[in-house]
Amino acid sequence: MADIPKALTYRGIPVWRHAVIIQWALQIVSAIIAVSLVAWFFFNIAGSIQERDIPYGFSFLSREYQTPIGEHFLPYESSDSFLYALIVAAVNTIVVAVLGVGLATLLGILIGVARLSSSWILSKLMLAYIEFFRNVPLLVQLLFWFFIVLTLPPVREGYVLFSRIYVNNAGISFPGLVGGNLQAVGVWVGLAAASIALGALVHHLLSWREDRTGKASYPLLAGIAVAAAGGAAAWLVVGSFTGEAPLVISSPEPHGRFGRIAGGVTLRAGLLVLLVGLVIYTSAFIAEIVRAGIQSVGRGQIEASRALGLSGIDSLRQVTFPQALRVIIPPLISQYLNLTKNSSLGGAVGYTDLTNVAITMTQTAPAISIFMLIMLSYLVMSLTWSLIGNLYNRRMRIVGA
Amino acid sequence: MRRIGKYAVVLGAALALLAALACGSSGVSQEEFDAVQKELDDTKAAMSGDMVSRDDFESVQNELDDLKAAGAGETMMMEGNRLEAVKQRGKVVCASNNSLAGFGFVDESGNTVGFDVDLCRAVAAAVLGNADAVEFRPTVAAERGPAMQSGDVDIMSRNTTWTTSRDAQWGNFAQTMFYDGQGFMVRKSLGLSGMLDLEDAAVCVQQGTTTELNLQDFINQNNLNISVATFPDNVSANEAYIGEQCDALTTDRSGLVSTRAGLANPDDHVILAGTISEEPLGPVVPHGDEQWYDVVKAVMAMLIYSEAYGITSSSVPTSVTGDTAVDRMFGLEGSFGQESMGLGQTVAQDVIRAVGNFGEIYDRHLTPLGLQREGSRNALWAAAPCNDCPKGGQVYAAPLR
Repeated sequence: MADIPKALTYRGIPVWRHAVIIQWALQIVSAIIAVSLVAWFFFNIAGSIQERDIPYGFSFLSREYQTPIGEHFLPYESSDSFLYALIVAAVNTIVVAVLGVGLATLLGILIGVARLSSSWILSKLMLAYIEFFRNVPLLVQLLFWFFIVLTLPPVREGYVLFSRIYVNNAGISFPGLVGGNLQAVGVWVGLAAASIALGALVHHLLSWREDRTGKASYPLLAGIAVAAAGGAAAWLVVGSFTGEAPLVISSPEPHGRFGRIAGGVTLRAGLLVLLVGLVIYTSAFIAEIVRAGIQSVGRGQIEASRALGLSGIDSLRQVTFPQALRVIIPPLISQYLNLTKNSSLGGAVGYTDLTNVAITMTQTAPAISIFMLIMLSYLVMSLTWSLIGNLYNRRMRIVGA
Repeated sequence: MRRIGKYAVVLGAALALLAALACGSSGVSQEEFDAVQKELDDTKAAMSGDMVSRDDFESVQNELDDLKAAGAGETMMMEGNRLEAVKQRGKVVCASNNSLAGFGFVDESGNTVGFDVDLCRAVAAAVLGNADAVEFRPTVAAERGPAMQSGDVDIMSRNTTWTTSRDAQWGNFAQTMFYDGQGFMVRKSLGLSGMLDLEDAAVCVQQGTTTELNLQDFINQNNLNISVATFPDNVSANEAYIGEQCDALTTDRSGLVSTRAGLANPDDHVILAGTISEEPLGPVVPHGDEQWYDVVKAVMAMLIYSEAYGITSSSVPTSVTGDTAVDRMFGLEGSFGQESMGLGQTVAQDVIRAVGNFGEIYDRHLTPLGLQREGSRNALWAAAPCNDCPKGGQVYAAPLR
């Protein structure tokens, strides 16, 4: 019986070369390092806070804020609490974020499509727009727009359009629906939303009945009627409780010795400057994303659609764009996040966004606590965008792929 | 068995790393430090009853010193040592303003100059014998608290209002350098007769200042309707006022005088009579270092009393004059506590020669702005050596003796 060669004797893999063990060990070591770093960071901060007597805590939230907030979309009095002031400021940021995202998307799509135009001049103009606004710091652009708006005439010499719309360097004022009583508006909006939901349910049930029985049931008409009747009833009920309509049409008018505009809806200069700056800056990025998305769709698709007789616009709308969206949406969402976060520069142009108000709050409340809350608020806003984006993205996936 | 052994080695190494991280971050725990501190206090208390020997006391004292040396945190090391640290560094770190003419701004040749700035120069002259040995840290209003709390700044001399909460949170306010109050500047053409005429006006204000809070108090007390626009620094607030985005600009009256002097047509603007707040402006030093605090107060006293005694930068005595108060101040006879503060005997000579007396500093920076001193609160309380020669101002300091 010949000896078995030593090399062929299987003795198991040594533990330090065992792939599974090495992987686990690395995982454990990195987890420990990560946890200790976080713990060290935390205890270091906590220690410094104590050592330097830096005030800390959240009891200030229920105290009266007692500081002006220039622009606010929720009603605000200086006797309101810090917590409510933070909510007011967060709504200011959300207003800019939502308006900004909507406008930047529209502008970005237009520019992105125009960038691919067969017209040489248009395409190069859009290229110049994109490269210029993408490559100049946002803060610089905001300050530029701030000074541009200051060159508009002051309020007493401002433009009046259609004798209703006031444009001057303090902002734009126009007629609008204004709620006198926040609770009344809230209740009415809630009831109106419930009526619309009811209307949708009626519509759904009636269409189902129509499909099943073939009897004409006018689902759309009935749905709208139910929603409208509900809304109107809610209006009357809320109105009879408060003695006034929940929302009234209000027109702006010069008021007082200084001729400042009162009434109507006013978008103050700070908001406008911030909005213009954010929209132009972000649209340049979105335009590039849109271009990339469109160019990712195979030429054959476009040629096929043209061969089927679709016009240029129809081909873009019905063939190219739906396919491009799959490429566009993920980076687009990240631009939405950027826009929302960039709105924190609003203070530089006099807009009372969340960060701006937070900085003011550090005058009378512990800075660390405030900024922890602010970070959390931005996190929630950003995650909400991501969630919306992911839901939409899921719907846009190739079915069955 | 062998495998488990190796596993344990990896895990053990990781745990050792974690332990090292945890220990490395603290060195001496706060509890340990507190315990010894308490022991020392007990011993001190007992000493008064002669129950503990001097040796006992010293051994505990040594133990405490060892603990301090062992590094119970960097700030602990700094305690009582800022003067030494400044001398070793060869520079005084001074948080300053760089955009308020007269008080602290950067001139055409790039030098930081002004009334507040000269205090930092005086301190540098006192401690280092060189008024130019100052490192200026331009600091905007909202950054001031964190800048002081970080402990990186030796002195902040930057038109900062002394309030009780700032005194508790930011550092020690040494002495009022300038008595101020918040006012309003408007265009003369508006023809306002007083601050109460500001009903329905738009007011521009700088963020992160007591100004914002005082403005809210003023609005509440007088039940006014004023729209407030907040800007991050006085430059943008001024621009918004110049562009008539606001009808009025509010800040400390000294700041208004300074801003008005820099406008294209100063005569078109008027500062309304009256103030809405008390604003004692003065330098701040970090908490936790009594000696450094004393040094800054002593420098202020030198500036004020050399004016009271009529000593200017060109008439600094170098030999005994016979006036004991003057001789004591300039280190020619007796002492006002120089050695306890760690300062040289003839420190006042260096200070006054370098920056002049309080009146000279005022005349150099504030008189050109049109801030009338004679008869104002910022005049000296009294001239010396005359015992009853009131000048009627509030400028006064601890006697140098």
